[in-house]
Amino acid sequence: MNAWRNPRNNLALALLLGLFGGLFIARALGAHRIDPFPALSFAPPPPGSYILHRIMPAPDGPVVGIDGRSRPLSQYTRGQMTLLGFIYTTCVDPEGCPLAYRVFDTLKKAIAATPALTGKVRFVTLSFDPARDTPDVMRRYAGSRAVDMSGGLRWYFLTTRSARELMPLVEGFGQDVRVTYDRSSGRARRELSHVLKVFLIDRAGDVREIYSSLFLHPQTVLNDIETLLMEESLRSSPASVTKNTR
Amino acid sequence: MGYIYPGRIVLFVIACWAFAGTAFGDETCNSPYISKLIKGQEDYVYVWTLGVEGLGDGFDKLITIDVDPKSKSYGKVLNTLSTGARVEAHHMGFTDDRRHIWAGGLSDNRIWVFDVATDPARPKLVRTIADLGEKSGYLGPHTYYALPGRMLVQALSNTKDKSGRTGMALYNNNGQFIASYAMPTEGGGDGYGYDLAVNPKKNALLTSSFTGHANYMRPLGDLIKDGEAMKKFGNSMALWDLKAMKPKKIFSVPGAPLEIRWSLNPKDDWAITATALTAKLWLVKQDGRGEWIAKDVGTVGDPAKTPLPVDISITQDGKGLWVNTFMDGMTRYFDLTNPEAPKQTYEKITGKQVNMVSQSWDGKRLYITSSLLANWDKGGSDNEQFLRGFAWNGKELSQKFEIDFTKEKLGRAHHMKLGSKALRAG
Repeated sequence: MNAWRNPRNNLALALLLGLFGGLFIARALGAHRIDPFPALSFAPPPPGSYILHRIMPAPDGPVVGIDGRSRPLSQYTRGQMTLLGFIYTTCVDPEGCPLAYRVFDTLKKAIAATPALTGKVRFVTLSFDPARDTPDVMRRYAGSRAVDMSGGLRWYFLTTRSARELMPLVEGFGQDVRVTYDRSSGRARRELSHVLKVFLIDRAGDVREIYSSLFLHPQTVLNDIETLLMEESLRSSPASVTKNTR
Repeated sequence: MGYIYPGRIVLFVIACWAFAGTAFGDETCNSPYISKLIKGQEDYVYVWTLGVEGLGDGFDKLITIDVDPKSKSYGKVLNTLSTGARVEAHHMGFTDDRRHIWAGGLSDNRIWVFDVATDPARPKLVRTIADLGEKSGYLGPHTYYALPGRMLVQALSNTKDKSGRTGMALYNNNGQFIASYAMPTEGGGDGYGYDLAVNPKKNALLTSSFTGHANYMRPLGDLIKDGEAMKKFGNSMALWDLKAMKPKKIFSVPGAPLEIRWSLNPKDDWAITATALTAKLWLVKQDGRGEWIAKDVGTVGDPAKTPLPVDISITQDGKGLWVNTFMDGMTRYFDLTNPEAPKQTYEKITGKQVNMVSQSWDGKRLYITSSLLANWDKGGSDNEQFLRGFAWNGKELSQKFEIDFTKEKLGRAHHMKLGSKALRAG
């Protein structure tokens, strides 16, 4: 079948043809301003043509939502594809937390525009600064994102009650963090130095991809989500079941 | 053709300007995924050292050298961490968060993981990974290349016949095996492995090829007389789709291409390597049609004399390349302003035998070690074993310190990594 005969794709084609500038694109994507992302400078392998191995199980432990209630993190990392990233709300490194935020924002729009992904993906933003990032601070940080359900995608903003609760999660994900002080402005500004990592977690709670800033591109993440969905689809298809039970 | 996700189309539309330049590199020859670059003065050089029977405890060890010129112990050994094993210690690599160094030996399958973040002056052994052979069938882990949360390990041999047929193994940072990937044997691939290097912008992984355990553990004098054995060296490089971990193209690069260095200039997308047996520099790049090609772009010394280029170190701007040749003990500098035509502009004998060369990010300091392989190092008085530190002013290398690894009863000095007090964890 020619994909462009699909009405949904015709709509997308119209969008593609009609949009030549970032300004118009941002308007088409909705209320949030989406900074344009650079094109990948390579042709990525098509979704489903590669394997995302199980890297490690996502760790579990208590986290706190913006409603102030404590729940196990596994409640936010199982049952759906989860894209999880650590942040701290005072981070200003453009290649750090803000980059992850931009990627999540862009992906949310892309997923909302893709009916096949409705209800299959969630985002989790987890603070590693429990001293400052209280549930109230996280609620303000999240803004409308925490309640926007477009595309059936929930974006959870979580924190922990203490470093004691946080550290097993940080260690479990292999997310390094250390306190440093930037004195370049004359005043010591506290920073949480870390390698930006975003984790793609499958429905079973296994980490299947880890993106650092050099890897983190909305196109790559979307391809990976599609790859995992195709893997699930193959696993649950009758042919696959027959093959596996022989 | 299947259904095209509209969301993907939206993403393609969004993509509209050049890739934001991201500084990468470290002391110029590490994985671009490693964070926390040392851009000023390094405090330490870690030297992964082969044990020598009867010298000190005789075991392979990680040695920390103080290289801060302001320190009272400048040019001295700060710490020695013995592994209690002697397995032809060879190379090592940082994890992506730079908290750990992975190191291994070519006659064995074990990988030692050292914590260099808790106290950078005094690394601690925190883990030994022992399942490489069992899980992958590979032997002799060589290159340790950080990927996000993972380490890609290139081996040189295999446990079955100890030939050069080998592959790569992927581990998570906790040391748990994830997957293995055989070196290509079709389409011109010869199955050998040596180094690997990634260009994230191009989703490109390049691999090179050397020889197997049966050759590299054999005394060099015997080996070069054995015509059949000398045929068993790699003559290829492979370009892989990094995301898919599938080989895409094989290049004929005769004479054992070894270390691979992508230009660190964000505007460049080429890599360079040196061939050990044919003493050539090869460039890997995309041609005008976007096709990846490998080109012979120059020689190192007189190839007829087999100078044996063994290590290269690229400058952070991609404009220069240091090349060490083992046989003549020479350190050469090539101007890479035009990578299609490298031009040698400087040379100096830096030892009776020299192997690894590492430069600081600012290019002002150069560190050189002496050992190639236990059975390939020279004999008698030519068997110098050292770490030498040099200053480079753009015209001349000036030796600043030397540690005699034999006199200090340490062993054979091989691979180096730079460390810093500023990278202390916590």
